[in-house]
Amino acid sequence: MVQFTLPKNSKIKKGKEWNPPAVDADPDRWREYRVYRYDPEGGENPRVDTYWVDMNDCGPMVLDALIWIKNKIDPTLTFRRSCREGVCGSCSMNIDGTNTLACTMHAEEAQGAAIAIYPLPHMPVVKDLVPDMTQFYAQHREIEPWLKTDSPTPQKEWRQSHEDREKLDGLYECILCACCSTACPSYWWNGDRYLGPAVLLQANRWVEDSRDERTGERLDDLEDPFRLYRCHTILNCTKACPKGLNPAAAIANLKRKMVERL
Amino acid sequence: MATPLKRVRGLGAARHGTETFWRQRLTAVANVPLVIFLIWFVVSHAGASYEVVKASLANPVVSVLMLAMIWSAAIHMRIGLREIIEDYLHNKLCKVSSLMLATFFSAGLAIASTLAVLKISLGG
Repeated sequence: MVQFTLPKNSKIKKGKEWNPPAVDADPDRWREYRVYRYDPEGGENPRVDTYWVDMNDCGPMVLDALIWIKNKIDPTLTFRRSCREGVCGSCSMNIDGTNTLACTMHAEEAQGAAIAIYPLPHMPVVKDLVPDMTQFYAQHREIEPWLKTDSPTPQKEWRQSHEDREKLDGLYECILCACCSTACPSYWWNGDRYLGPAVLLQANRWVEDSRDERTGERLDDLEDPFRLYRCHTILNCTKACPKGLNPAAAIANLKRKMVERL
Repeated sequence: MATPLKRVRGLGAARHGTETFWRQRLTAVANVPLVIFLIWFVVSHAGASYEVVKASLANPVVSVLMLAMIWSAAIHMRIGLREIIEDYLHNKLCKVSSLMLATFFSAGLAIASTLAVLKISLGG
């Protein structure tokens, strides 16, 4: 049976309150952050620590707040970040109940008074907000995300019409942050066999590429009750994508292609 | 100690699933008018006597539509049950036995219902 409850050693406990502001402090100035903390080497259960961020001293984005906490309050807080402008996909995490990028989410967008931050759901946790993406990357590798051709390599480049190039819009922009895949219940329950929306969107990107000559083989490798057809069009993927892409439409296109060749 | 790629590749793609996907869509589309017909039939015969309902069911058009609904719904149900079982049941024994039971249940229901309609329509 699918495990709906957390195992005993993963149950979240109440953590430490690091820097509660003074009683007479300006409430508009201090923003409460509740952050998931877990250190597998410590042998303790995960906990949720509370930090208060001085918004007068901190940038507007959630990532700014995390960096502020790390620099000024707790240097042990661990998270991934790199480009801080929504291009690298490193800082994907669950913020205020939604998978998104910490660098592109404005703290003011959060609905709750306290901003809750957890790692991406249903992924093994390396430490704090850092999930283990090994399987996700292996799945991406599995769909062979590169141009595959049999015709002799042209002298200059593989040519593509403007119209065919446009077919890749909405697909090539994916930054593999895994917000969509880890928002998908099908991926939660069967992530070992279902490829998930991010990887399927990438698969569709190569199926749609007019220059690629192995479309049939690509579809063969996807045709499986789990790899592709575990998608039940729940649409969490499309709702979660911080880049505004539509993985559900990409998956629907793959299914359409499969039916076309029946 | 298997590599992540080895684990992800598993036993490879089954190279099927599209026919099931298509069948599910097809029966879903068929079920819309057929279920509307069933509801209409039941509502229009509310309070009618046993003989009247039996005579209506014996009408060839009604019988054909009823048989179509039974099989379309049964096939759709079998596919749906399989999806649910594969989604949520991960214990191998539990999964395989549930899949078998789901098939037996759907087939049993369809066969029994077919027999009932045929009996009425052929004057049994």
